[in-house]
Amino acid sequence: MGAFPAIAFGSPALLAALVLLPAIWWLLRFTPPKPRTEAFPPLRILLSVVRREETPARSPWWLTLLRLAMAALVIVALARPVLNPSPVAIAGSAPVALLVDNSWATARDWDRRRDAALALIDQADQAGAPVAVAFSVAPANADVEIVSAEQARDAFMAAEPQPLNGDRNAAFARLLAALERLGDNARFGLLAVLDDGLARDGEFDGEALQRLAGADAPVERVLWYVSPIDDLRVIANAGNGAEAFDVTLVQAESGGAEPADIGAFDEKGRQIGETTAGFEDGEIAETGFEAPFELRNDYALLRISGQEHAGAVWLIDENSRRRRVGLVSGETGDQALPLLSPLYYITRALSPFADLVEARTGDLARDIAEIIDKRPSVIVMSDIGTLPDDAVAALSTWVDEGGVLVRFAGPRVAAGSAEDPLLPVTLRIGERALGGALSWTEPQPVDAFPAIGPFAGMPAPKDVSVNRQLLAEPDPDLADHTWATLTDGTPLVTGAARGKGTMVFFHVTAEATWSNLPISGSFVEMLRRVLKLARTSTGLSSGQAEAAALAPLRVLNAAGELAPPPAQVKPLPADKTTPDIDNPPGLYGAADGFVALNLMNADVTLAPLSPPQLSVPVTTASYAPPAESDLRGPLFFVAALLFALDMLAVLWMNGLLRSRPSAAARAPVASTLLIAGLALAMLAVPGSARAQDAQPNDAALIEQASITRLAYVKTGIAATDATTEAGLRGLTVFLRSRTAFEPGDPVGVDPATDELSFFPMLYYAIDASGPMPGDEVIARLDAYMQGGGSILFDTRDQLSSGLDGSGSAENQRLREILDGLNIPPLEPVPGDHVLTKAFYLLNDFPGLHVGGPLWVEALNAQQAADRPVRSGDGVSPILITGNDFAGAWAVDDQLKPLLPMTSVDPMQRMYAFRAGVNIVMYMLTGNYKADQVHVPALLERLGQ
Amino acid sequence: MAAIGQRVGAVPHHDALARGRLRASLVPDLLIEARRIVSTVIAGWHGRRRRGIGESFWQFRPYVEGETLARIDWRRSARDDHTYVRDQEWEAAHTVWLWLDESPSMLYKSAPATVSKESRGLVLTLAMAELLARSGERVGYPGLQRPITARNGAERLARALATVGSGALPARPSLDDVRRHSEFVLFSDFLDPVEETLGLLQAIADRGARAHLVEVADPAEETFPYRGRTEFEDPETGMRLTAGRAEKWAEAYQFAYMARRETLRDHCRRLGWSYIVNRTDRLASEALVALHTQLSGLLHEGGR
Repeated sequence: MGAFPAIAFGSPALLAALVLLPAIWWLLRFTPPKPRTEAFPPLRILLSVVRREETPARSPWWLTLLRLAMAALVIVALARPVLNPSPVAIAGSAPVALLVDNSWATARDWDRRRDAALALIDQADQAGAPVAVAFSVAPANADVEIVSAEQARDAFMAAEPQPLNGDRNAAFARLLAALERLGDNARFGLLAVLDDGLARDGEFDGEALQRLAGADAPVERVLWYVSPIDDLRVIANAGNGAEAFDVTLVQAESGGAEPADIGAFDEKGRQIGETTAGFEDGEIAETGFEAPFELRNDYALLRISGQEHAGAVWLIDENSRRRRVGLVSGETGDQALPLLSPLYYITRALSPFADLVEARTGDLARDIAEIIDKRPSVIVMSDIGTLPDDAVAALSTWVDEGGVLVRFAGPRVAAGSAEDPLLPVTLRIGERALGGALSWTEPQPVDAFPAIGPFAGMPAPKDVSVNRQLLAEPDPDLADHTWATLTDGTPLVTGAARGKGTMVFFHVTAEATWSNLPISGSFVEMLRRVLKLARTSTGLSSGQAEAAALAPLRVLNAAGELAPPPAQVKPLPADKTTPDIDNPPGLYGAADGFVALNLMNADVTLAPLSPPQLSVPVTTASYAPPAESDLRGPLFFVAALLFALDMLAVLWMNGLLRSRPSAAARAPVASTLLIAGLALAMLAVPGSARAQDAQPNDAALIEQASITRLAYVKTGIAATDATTEAGLRGLTVFLRSRTAFEPGDPVGVDPATDELSFFPMLYYAIDASGPMPGDEVIARLDAYMQGGGSILFDTRDQLSSGLDGSGSAENQRLREILDGLNIPPLEPVPGDHVLTKAFYLLNDFPGLHVGGPLWVEALNAQQAADRPVRSGDGVSPILITGNDFAGAWAVDDQLKPLLPMTSVDPMQRMYAFRAGVNIVMYMLTGNYKADQVHVPALLERLGQ
Repeated sequence: MAAIGQRVGAVPHHDALARGRLRASLVPDLLIEARRIVSTVIAGWHGRRRRGIGESFWQFRPYVEGETLARIDWRRSARDDHTYVRDQEWEAAHTVWLWLDESPSMLYKSAPATVSKESRGLVLTLAMAELLARSGERVGYPGLQRPITARNGAERLARALATVGSGALPARPSLDDVRRHSEFVLFSDFLDPVEETLGLLQAIADRGARAHLVEVADPAEETFPYRGRTEFEDPETGMRLTAGRAEKWAEAYQFAYMARRETLRDHCRRLGWSYIVNRTDRLASEALVALHTQLSGLLHEGGR
């Protein structure tokens, strides 16, 4: 059979009608396209003006040809032509052997293979020959019987392609074994090899090939079906890389260069990614899914579109998924202020990519045991100096098994032991400060990342500077462990392998106190790369980790679809990485933790198989195209096309196409307009999408954030608000004239709607006649105080009742408000509070009224009694007074006081202003002033 | 698609009998119609005196404004304050020859036309004969009827036309009996080559007669409304011509057609003759009125 496809006719008698073609030709030839005949008396005048045109008495030859072709096509189509290759005949009753590949590569065209095989079996049936069928993918103990054609047909109909590589040698050996049972001199009349086209190592060598090539070959004739593999493509490897989900595709050497589309599907079979691999370079194409990290974590299966076989599918298991990260912080008490929490930035950086598990109790031994129980891939410890022995042992075991331990520096690590086994390098005791009033060094930026370590290739962060760090002991192999350095060469990040795991140490704190690394974008990328180190999870859930074998969850069939496992699939031994008939490719394990067993591996190649040289005659054949490729449809279609052409030609010859030229001219114009309109619409869409980005009050927010201001809470009562604003304006003027702080104009805010985080302090004048703020307003005020802001409540009722008496309406209102707030314990400002020394030395804090105390957060009294001032961390989030500060500060446009004081002391207004200055300074500088009281002693020491 | 023009009176040239019957059946109707048209024409002539071309005095009558000054009798007018015109007695009848082209090209009628060209020509001929007969003119038909004066001139002409065979009359009128000062009215489509027509006119002019040409034209001949692949057939010669795209020829054809007409019209104008075009989609009386005006003006003025 050559390259010429054979054509058979369903009713060949109709072809006799082709002899009518000359008659049709004769008819057509003398039947011109009928012109309209018009009697026209002035013909001689017409003749005088026109050149006598050729008056065809017959159709143009091409029109005749067209019509003849049309008639011939119709006749041929009526004869029902069918493309149908004539099968090879089987002669004699010698047994027929079929060696059938049912590997994964046959899944694409299994129907054609089955048709070819069934055609052979049919012929054997007619010839009365018994048949033996051997499949290349079969259990090791499979047996082949030489049976009647009828049984062979039934057996073959039940066969299916398998998602595995076939073993033709074994199949041939089974055939020979069946032959031997038949008798000593038995030979196969015909050996038909229906292979998958893929050459494998050791193909037809050894005994099998020798017997075939030898003089006493047990077959008389070999029919070799050639299967092209040019369009076969498989996924050889895939993995979650740094920037993309990398995929490697392999095709045969003779494959085309057209790109392959690869789709990524999640666990529910929805396509969530797509990429294209170009085969410009030949056999291997590499590409990647460039998608956000968290999206790539959802990939469960990759598939080459258009390739319906198991080789074009890559299963993805937990090894490519997101990791679980355990967080341990040494300082559990500081969680109330989120921006100062040591784990805050780590949480923010990691939560998109990892499941976070945090320690809860604060007891390190219990926490770490609990976290390790949850089998995290990474444990991040922030500033933990000394660990309990149990925890050290547990962590060491966990790291040895493959965990990644990431530690951050801090004061506790600096004070810890130098020989910490869970640090990659040996640390110097004490920290190193860069920059500051007492240092000549400058804060150090980060140098370019060295080529070793996970950060290689990352651009050096320009915006990071380090003020403090922990130094490593100089060591010969320190450079080998240094993953990031400062520009002076000191390590910023060090790492070392330990067992199967890795230890990473950041020489700065995890919050922004020692450096601004945690608030830079590089921090996120660095943590992501560290996460990459924990590629392999430390195991499945603990119950299965000890199990010797994993139960099949879902297996792949030859067509590349995941299906529930058939009964014969056995559990997967833990160390088995190649699929076989017992463990076909698929997912093994439990639904929440499984291992993917893939058909392909990275070094797979697709080599075409060529028929071997044998001593017996070898005939090559190709698989039958679909048997019923009816040609009637195409023929009738072509005939109809010709008919349409004929109509057009006749119309053209009669000049009727010209009758409406304007309509034809308008159509392109209309379509052009349509296309232009569509293009404009598409251009407009991104424009509107960009506009969504801006918020309506951005300008106001930028204005408020660009300069520090005093702010007050609007009560809703116009007179009160006006007085408050005038008071803050007076204080602002006073601050500008007396201090280095030059605030902007005061602003009134509505806590229900306005952003509060721009203001260090809110002045809240309580007015009982105003509306009670709602719960959500109080919640926002609470969040503001938790976030580091302070509110100065002023009940302005000192004269009427004072805070001690509970009668005043304002006092009642204040209590209602404070009911919804998280208020620390309060106390009147003690004499040694930093408020009394923040700028002026004050004994009390008068306002319009005198005598009312100023309430602040109570400091713990553990401080040494001999210190001149008590310092606490942070600033009191709440101050309460009844002295009406704003009334005392209030000035008019000419800076004249607005309200009279209730005291005769002329200095009282000045004291009120000084109290305001102290309060503002306290808000802005915190406990700094408390430290400044030591300055004389420090200077005295330095002076020597 | 229906053809625009058709041949009517599908009578072959040689089939004299059929053509005679056609004539016989056609003429009475035409005669009646001709009389009807004539009566409308005469109705426009109120106040026409019995005066005409002649030598003897008939009457004086007062000058009516608008009459040509040449007709004022100054001697009589000098005798009183009025101005008089001298009328002559109508002494001699005028001889008017009528001739209708009977070539097959006249047997044509297109869709917009109401009648065929031959039908229109016959109507005009007989109507003119009726008109002239009423006026007492001598009406003749070359080769068929000598000039006679008879009240029933139209009937007699129609009878003569009906009885004579088609082949009996020559394609060109015989001018043997045509004398000087006679009028010769030709009804034809004048589609013969213009040189032939001019030759005929020259012969008429040589006889000293005046000619009045009435071109009976079909609208399709004038506007050439053909499109697309069209085969044209000349009913006169049987010649065929196939046009692939007939509309491409329209402009050149119309130019040639009009050029022929203008050539003939110019020729007539130079000789002081008249040339009237009557399209078969217009009324026959239009041509009749125009022709009558021409003839009457000539009759009244020419003989003085």
